[in-house]
Amino acid sequence: MAFFGVFVFAVLAARLFQLQILEHERYERLTIRQQLREAPSSAARGTIYDTNLNPLAISASVDNVYLSPAEIEMYGEDKDLIARELGDILQLDPEEIREKASRSGSWYVTVARKLEKEQADLVRAMKTEYNLRGVRLETDTRRYYPNSSLACHVIGFVGTDNYGLEGIEAEYDSALSGSAGRSLRATNAYGSDLLFAPFEAYEPGEDGFDLVLTLDSTIQFFVEKHLKQAVADYDIQNGAGAIAMDVNTGAILAMASLDGYDLNHFLDVSAEVQAQIEQAQSEEEAERLRREAQTRQWRNKALSDTYEPGSTFKIITLSMALEEGAVGLSDGFYCGGNVSVKGRNNPIRCWKTEGHGSQTLTQAVQHSCNVAFVNIGQRVGAETFYRYCEAFGFLNKTGNPDDNLTASTGIDLAGESGSIWWSENTFCSPRNLSQLAAASFGQTFTITPLQLITAVSACVNGGKLMRPYVVRQLLNPDGSLAYEREPQVVRQVISEATSKTVRSILEQVVGDPKDGTGRNAAVAGYRIGGKTGTSEKVSLEAQTGEKQYIVSFIGFAPADDPKIAVLVFLDTPSNASGIYISGGQMAAPVVGNMMADILPYLGVEPQEEAENRRDVQMPLLQGLSLWEATERLKETGLRWRSIGEGDSVTDQLPAPGVMLAADTEVLLYRGAEPSEELETVPDLSGMSYDEARDTLSYYGLYIQTLSPIQENERQTIGGQNAAAGSKRKHGDVIQVTLVSGDDSLLGKY
Amino acid sequence: MRYESARLTGFSVSEGKEKRGGVDFNFLLLVLLLLVMGVVMVLSSSYARAYYDPGHVTGGNAAYYFIRQLLYACLGVVLMLLASRLPMGFYRRYAFPFLLVTLLLLALVPLIGVRANGSRRWLGVGGLTVQPSELAKLAVILSFSVLIVRYRGRMGSVRWGILPFAGILAAIVGLLVLEPHFSASIIILALGAVMLFLGGVHLIWFVTAFGVVGAGFVVLMTFFPYASSRITTWRDPFSSSSDEGYQIVQSLYSIGSGGLSGLGLGGSRQKFLYLPEEHNDFIFSVLCEELGFIGALLVLALFALLILRGYWIALHCRSRFDSLVCAGITTLLALQVFLNVAVVTNLMPCTGISLPFFSYGGTALLIQLGEMGIVLSASRDILEER
Repeated sequence: MAFFGVFVFAVLAARLFQLQILEHERYERLTIRQQLREAPSSAARGTIYDTNLNPLAISASVDNVYLSPAEIEMYGEDKDLIARELGDILQLDPEEIREKASRSGSWYVTVARKLEKEQADLVRAMKTEYNLRGVRLETDTRRYYPNSSLACHVIGFVGTDNYGLEGIEAEYDSALSGSAGRSLRATNAYGSDLLFAPFEAYEPGEDGFDLVLTLDSTIQFFVEKHLKQAVADYDIQNGAGAIAMDVNTGAILAMASLDGYDLNHFLDVSAEVQAQIEQAQSEEEAERLRREAQTRQWRNKALSDTYEPGSTFKIITLSMALEEGAVGLSDGFYCGGNVSVKGRNNPIRCWKTEGHGSQTLTQAVQHSCNVAFVNIGQRVGAETFYRYCEAFGFLNKTGNPDDNLTASTGIDLAGESGSIWWSENTFCSPRNLSQLAAASFGQTFTITPLQLITAVSACVNGGKLMRPYVVRQLLNPDGSLAYEREPQVVRQVISEATSKTVRSILEQVVGDPKDGTGRNAAVAGYRIGGKTGTSEKVSLEAQTGEKQYIVSFIGFAPADDPKIAVLVFLDTPSNASGIYISGGQMAAPVVGNMMADILPYLGVEPQEEAENRRDVQMPLLQGLSLWEATERLKETGLRWRSIGEGDSVTDQLPAPGVMLAADTEVLLYRGAEPSEELETVPDLSGMSYDEARDTLSYYGLYIQTLSPIQENERQTIGGQNAAAGSKRKHGDVIQVTLVSGDDSLLGKY
Repeated sequence: MRYESARLTGFSVSEGKEKRGGVDFNFLLLVLLLLVMGVVMVLSSSYARAYYDPGHVTGGNAAYYFIRQLLYACLGVVLMLLASRLPMGFYRRYAFPFLLVTLLLLALVPLIGVRANGSRRWLGVGGLTVQPSELAKLAVILSFSVLIVRYRGRMGSVRWGILPFAGILAAIVGLLVLEPHFSASIIILALGAVMLFLGGVHLIWFVTAFGVVGAGFVVLMTFFPYASSRITTWRDPFSSSSDEGYQIVQSLYSIGSGGLSGLGLGGSRQKFLYLPEEHNDFIFSVLCEELGFIGALLVLALFALLILRGYWIALHCRSRFDSLVCAGITTLLALQVFLNVAVVTNLMPCTGISLPFFSYGGTALLIQLGEMGIVLSASRDILEER
């Protein structure tokens, strides 16, 4: 008996030895894992500021409400009461809350997230009133975007779990979110603290960095304002984008994409789509519509869309040709309307089918002549062309000449797409020059708008390709500087001298009111350079037969010492707008309007507009000798015609003191009498101011306008104060109003 | 000489007016030592549950269980001393009335017992609850001792050596199965077997009984999924989702995390509602966690010493009845201790067996201490080695 007793107790002892000594570590580990609760102590998400420290995204403290059904069960709390009261406060279905409260196995069931303080306080009061232990609140943070939709695609948004999902919020998520701290607590099985032996280890979190963007809210506002206007004016079907970049640093000053959305309600779709969703036949259909609309509105077209840039790319071709010495300013180009290219059955046609004739290099750029650029591209040669494309950041060679190539700028923003290029073997094949020919004027490859403005900035900033960036500083939570980003030169692509030449040629595209296809981008008082682009979506046409265009304009200013470049592209203008679909007609004025707002804001001094003509005052000439009178008129800026044979001026038309358009031909009477006959007023509408002036002076009538006269803008007569066909005396002055814009074919490319 | 004959005839000498000897000091000391440790462990293991009061019992009074256990321990010591004063003849005389009362109470349990966890095992009288199965254990010991002494010499026969005993066991176990109370049935059957073995029943009966129990076990496993699931849980508690699985895993956590020297008295973390029944059937797990392997061995050693001393008393008793009663009570104690520790260490399938002197439970403690009093009473009559 005793032996038996000793034996069985020895078995127990052996078992205890096994558990407590041999397997001690395993059980200790398991037990600790069970007993320690790791609670993240949330770190404040950093604020996003624009370059002038205006907040774009800020975090505020909110509350989540959750239930602990296990405790509701344990303490016998009234589920119906909880469902009713919470449903009341939170505007939720009480049945749903009741169901959640009944999941008795669970300790955590979320009821509502990110409640504002007022609602959370109501829940707190309710919890206290009924002494409910199963209803709990926890602190969370919520992101607010004070400017709603402004720069929405750049800023991006965070999901319910506070992870950045788009834009800066996604790209800089880890910097913004900091590191959540951890508190380790030994707890009882219900998750509350131990009674007498509290154990707590605290690892403090670090709040996230504040970000200072290069983005300037004011510039962003100007850009969005004019872009929205353009979308409305031209009935743009497929959205639009714009980028404003500091040409010397690559800093993004503004980046817009339409349609936008309100960052505070990023799930909400436009009213139109919402109406469609409500009309949808099925749940799935509604969901699909919503998804599609959301994906569309969240897409940053300036970064994520790739397109054939068209003629804006001629800046790149021009730059490389000048750098290589393949062309010079004195070179002449002949355009007969089309050009045959080896490897192509049909000749490449210029947009102007009758041809541009003989042109200088500058004129070829001003005209955006495709034939000339095919020629320029061939002078550069495919391999050199390809090398420059790599240098400008449009493609990265892989070493395998059969690979299709791609590249992107490496901007610090989520969602950047890459370009798509022909493989080196295809592009450089000596038997087929059609790729080179088309690429010379920006077709048959796709790039992102961001790539284009980055490369064009290099062409005009002295040749340095910059890496574009959006975040310029990281600030510590105490506001001190943690990190400052220096502009990063990727490489010198062309020389300063070449860049200067490119600038002056491009200035002629905007500045020349006759030949410049980009003259609609001109802003009085400022020197602006730029290039138009109209590209057909070739692959879409190949697939569907539908012709769609992307019209664009890239401009920079001041042309002699560029500070800012602005690219605007409008995706698929509708034919219904009545305006000729072209970059010069549609996109150039948008960039001009943006520049007109941005340049004064940036403190760029407008230059006195020497060319701007003003009306002049007719001097008193009666009684003067002919010589004296003509000297006086030359000073004033008027031409003259004299009637009669006398030595002195006996009469004049018009009368002294009258305001006249400069360069008007006035009449001097030397002994002769002015005719008393009445003249019929001609129809002036549609004429330029100069034409109207000359037409009227033929009849002895004179012109004057109260509208500002701008040499660089194509202005036409919109109205006249004497109706066509009415009778007027010789020497009468007709007042006209001038309107901007025309539908000249010159804007086409 | 007189004592010698008295022992042979089975009559207690204490019926005479002579002064009895003192109680066995070693036994008493061991009992008191274990009792004090037990009450302290009730305090240590129960305060968390008492404080959080998930079952709405204590009203958040952390000392709720401790105070009660302390009170019953004091009452129990008084009862033990009283029991040690009563002559052994008293127990002999009232063995069968006690058995009858016990059977009556057992019969009442399925009818008016307090229901808990799907079984009726308690009888409530006022604020008190009694488990008649605890009384039944003592009743078996006393009545079997009386019968063995009465039928000595005829114990080899079925008529005298088997049937009366089997009848008593069948009545008790039959009533226990109605509750149902599986663990008490096993203990009582084992206890009965040991008593009969001590009474000189032929070994062949044990082989037979073992066979019957084994067969019954197989049947149980086959037809009662409840029982076979317990076996599955026992073999791999970590992958079991049952309450027993959770319980035994938590017990292993407690024991294993204690290590060599434990977390210190009061330092258990598992008692913070992780470990169910922590101040009850699984109090030994908390003890292992707090006092470590060293403390657990010490307590087991104290139990071993107590048991050895119990058997020593049994061997030295003046009468055969005293011997049988002491051996029976000591065996019961040993069985309870072994089964409890075997369950909490998962050597055996999980079943509710409390640890004497440690597990919370007032009336059970009273009965245990009363039993110790009976052993002490028998020890008074030992003359040798005084």
